[in-house]
Amino acid sequence: MPGTYLPSEYLPVLIFILVAIAFGIGALLIGTVFRLKKQYFEKLMPYESGITPKGEPRYRFSIRFYIIAMLFVIFDVEAIFIYPWAVVFDKIGMYAFIEMVIFIVILFIGYIYAWRKDAFQWD
Amino acid sequence: MLPELFFVYFAFAIILLSILVVTRKNPVHSVLWMLLLFFHIASLYLFLNAEFMALIQMIVYAGGILVLFLFAILLVNIKEEIRITRFIGAWPTGLTFAIGIFIVIFVSIKSFVLGQQGTYTIDFIKKESHTKALGKLLYTDFLYPFEIASLILLVAIIGAIILAKRRIKS
Amino acid sequence: MVLSTAVFTIGVFGFLSRKNIIIIFMSIELMLNAVNINLISLSHYLQDLRGQILAFFVIAVAAAEAAIGLAIVIALFRNKATAHVDEIHEMKG
Repeated sequence: MPGTYLPSEYLPVLIFILVAIAFGIGALLIGTVFRLKKQYFEKLMPYESGITPKGEPRYRFSIRFYIIAMLFVIFDVEAIFIYPWAVVFDKIGMYAFIEMVIFIVILFIGYIYAWRKDAFQWD
Repeated sequence: MLPELFFVYFAFAIILLSILVVTRKNPVHSVLWMLLLFFHIASLYLFLNAEFMALIQMIVYAGGILVLFLFAILLVNIKEEIRITRFIGAWPTGLTFAIGIFIVIFVSIKSFVLGQQGTYTIDFIKKESHTKALGKLLYTDFLYPFEIASLILLVAIIGAIILAKRRIKS
Repeated sequence: MVLSTAVFTIGVFGFLSRKNIIIIFMSIELMLNAVNINLISLSHYLQDLRGQILAFFVIAVAAAEAAIGLAIVIALFRNKATAHVDEIHEMKG
């Protein structure tokens, strides 16, 4: 049973997170203490660059956003398969290169399919 | 001592956050709690000496899948969602079933025996870097699962486009 | 491992009891994450990287599953205009 592991090289990240949390809470606290506590109707409206807001803020989005997001997730996963390949590429040689070409060709078929189905067209 | 302290914090935070995820009324709140949950899981992976897994947890889950969930929630109307009850009528059955599974797994963990130790010790991974060790194993011993994964992704692209595009054609 | 079991249990509970189908899919993601925690912690304690390779494939499959599942939800919402599982009781298109 190996001992527990402490990722000591990530200590700056921890300090960064703590500072970020402290800064966020601190800024809000200072704002609460020092701001004017006068509220009127225009101030309580949602801010839309000075234009009076109209309509529901929660309208339904177009499905095209979803298709783009879905393709992003799929190719995101493809990208994370490429990362370790790129790191060890000089060690493992030609065989793995051919395998990666097959991998990318298979996903390229999907890409061409999405293209032919006008998934990238906006309207 | 310090790693155990961190582990206890992460364990409690992960359990609390996952309860929050399944019980919030507003699905958008659920997604935001889930974002925090994924960050905690990624940091737990760092403590398990798996920094590349922590990285892809961030990239794929927090960056990709949660955006997908958010878009799906914004596609359906959430206005009446906040008013109605959030569980189906038979939720005590679900809870009983879940507790039953928990007890069964918990009892069977007791008789768990740690198997043979492998060759990838902490020092080895530190020297080699985690991504390198993982890549070497992935592209020598696991080539066929890797190709099958590409086929799964291809099927996912085609299926999701067929399902989601139907309305635009008509 | 107890942690992983607890997360898995909460996922099962959410899967069986929520009304909104999107939350049900999030519960599935939760269960897959529990499996990943278990695989990676065992891979650490056994000092063997194969568990992490398996977790890698689990993540890839989870991404594919989320894309397909949510596409199904959206197609369902187009036909039925509801995202609640207790209002969907017929298999006819």
